[in-house]
Amino acid sequence: MSHPDLTVEIAGLYLRNPVIPASGCFGFGREYAQFYPLNQLGAVAVKATTLKPRIGNPTPRVTEVCGGMLNAIGLANPGVDYIVRYELPWLANQDVPIIVNVAGETKSEYVEVVKRVCASGLAAAIELNVSCPNVAAGGMTFGIDPDILRDLVAAVKEVCTVPLFVKLSPNVTDIREIALASQAGGADGLTLINTLMGMQIDIYRRRPVLANKTGGLSGPAIKPVAVRMVYEVAKVVDIPIIGMGGIFSGEDAVEFIMAGASAVMVGTANFTNPLACPQIIGEIKEFMRKQGIRNLGEIRGCIG
Amino acid sequence: MLLTVKDIGNLAPDIWQITLSGDFPYETVRPGQFIMIRIGSGKEHILRRPISIAAVTEESLTIVLRVVGKGTKWLSERRIGEWLDVLGPLGRGFPNPPRDAKVLIVGGGLGVPPLYLLGEILKTETDKVDIVLGFRSQRDCILTDDFSRLGRLVVTTDDGSFGMKGNVIDAVDSLRSSGCRWEYVYACGPLPMLRHLKGYFSDQNVNGYVSLEERMACGVGACHGCVCPSEDRSLARRICVNGPVFPWNEVSL
Repeated sequence: MSHPDLTVEIAGLYLRNPVIPASGCFGFGREYAQFYPLNQLGAVAVKATTLKPRIGNPTPRVTEVCGGMLNAIGLANPGVDYIVRYELPWLANQDVPIIVNVAGETKSEYVEVVKRVCASGLAAAIELNVSCPNVAAGGMTFGIDPDILRDLVAAVKEVCTVPLFVKLSPNVTDIREIALASQAGGADGLTLINTLMGMQIDIYRRRPVLANKTGGLSGPAIKPVAVRMVYEVAKVVDIPIIGMGGIFSGEDAVEFIMAGASAVMVGTANFTNPLACPQIIGEIKEFMRKQGIRNLGEIRGCIG
Repeated sequence: MLLTVKDIGNLAPDIWQITLSGDFPYETVRPGQFIMIRIGSGKEHILRRPISIAAVTEESLTIVLRVVGKGTKWLSERRIGEWLDVLGPLGRGFPNPPRDAKVLIVGGGLGVPPLYLLGEILKTETDKVDIVLGFRSQRDCILTDDFSRLGRLVVTTDDGSFGMKGNVIDAVDSLRSSGCRWEYVYACGPLPMLRHLKGYFSDQNVNGYVSLEERMACGVGACHGCVCPSEDRSLARRICVNGPVFPWNEVSL
């Protein structure tokens, strides 16, 4: 049998395979280029970008929990102007599409950052971050109310010259409502799920482990929740989905694709194993070869 | 890379020394650098543990760790011949002082082991090394014999059960009173100790370096989990790649 075809088309983006390091877990790519050439990846989603530089939350910002981790980084980043000038050009030279994650505290801030990112001509797509659970203003507040979200997406869509993805929060009663609001606002695609809000307490010191008290749970522990949410959302929207949440292996990635995702993002696994993404790509290919699957369209959303 | 446990032993209550061998760029290791070790299969404990390199030879490296949780407990239970998945060497270590510079090394508790390799290197380059190591009590004292071969050593314990009663600042102050002066100070230990040391030398013309620790996720600079504020608090410095060793005037302790 010929080689399985891993290429995917998603909202007008053509990717050589469906595996994308998730925003916040891969810096701006430089840190992982020491482990493998980044052009092996489908795309790279870079760390969240805001209008002004942000120093982030106090430490501890990360802690391990059973089967996962909590983080409360707080959107630390050097600001959009620095990123467009010093980070994206380097990554653009690595021959891999760049998905720029954009966060803000106000609608006008989101719009302004998206404008500047698009003007750079270096982004293949924008991922609108309306689901960060670790910041006081903005962040998740835009991602939990359908009306506010639709309005934000519509405003951003007006200035966005590349495909626009909206990254959804799982910290809602019904994620389908939020997904439909994004679609109604004009989103070209969805990425889900961001982290689940969690907390860990140091019982000897009688205080939370994280300085921010709460943080976002990621890792294998959240995978079943994420697969279920991708499955639910895929049933109600017409736009493509990039699925994520605890993907550590090719088999995990295939679950998301069968649930309805066109591509997947890999976050926490990069920390456990810096070679996680290339290994997952190899495992997907191996699964397809063994199962006689020629392209991912054959299994996408195959779960009824 | 996979390294084999060549030796493992208990140094003090809850403190273990592990020597690892196998394919590793030992010759590139700088004192103060660290490795990230996977815990088990990485499926239950998904974060690697950052552990400083205490000593290195052409064919092995030695780490010293304290059991503080499930990950370090697992590490302490390894047997000779088992292998560990290791990432490293990582981070920026201690810079070499100029030849024959007057050097002070200050270590507190589990901050002592990361200074050993530095001491070994300095011993070959200068004979003017003063070393002050502080521990809570005699039972917590580690590596004191090893360090006594590297320079003039003063050990302090909080309860006076071994060496001088007091903390490392008391010992540094008494050395200074007896006429000792230093151009370079290298320190690793609890944050309050580093803060006091920086304060103690603030009006003196010394080059101070501190090795910091923090909970880490990636260990390679990608996640921004392990940061400390810059001296003017305008920037976050990533301990895993900008450090773990910083000139003390570059960071706010």
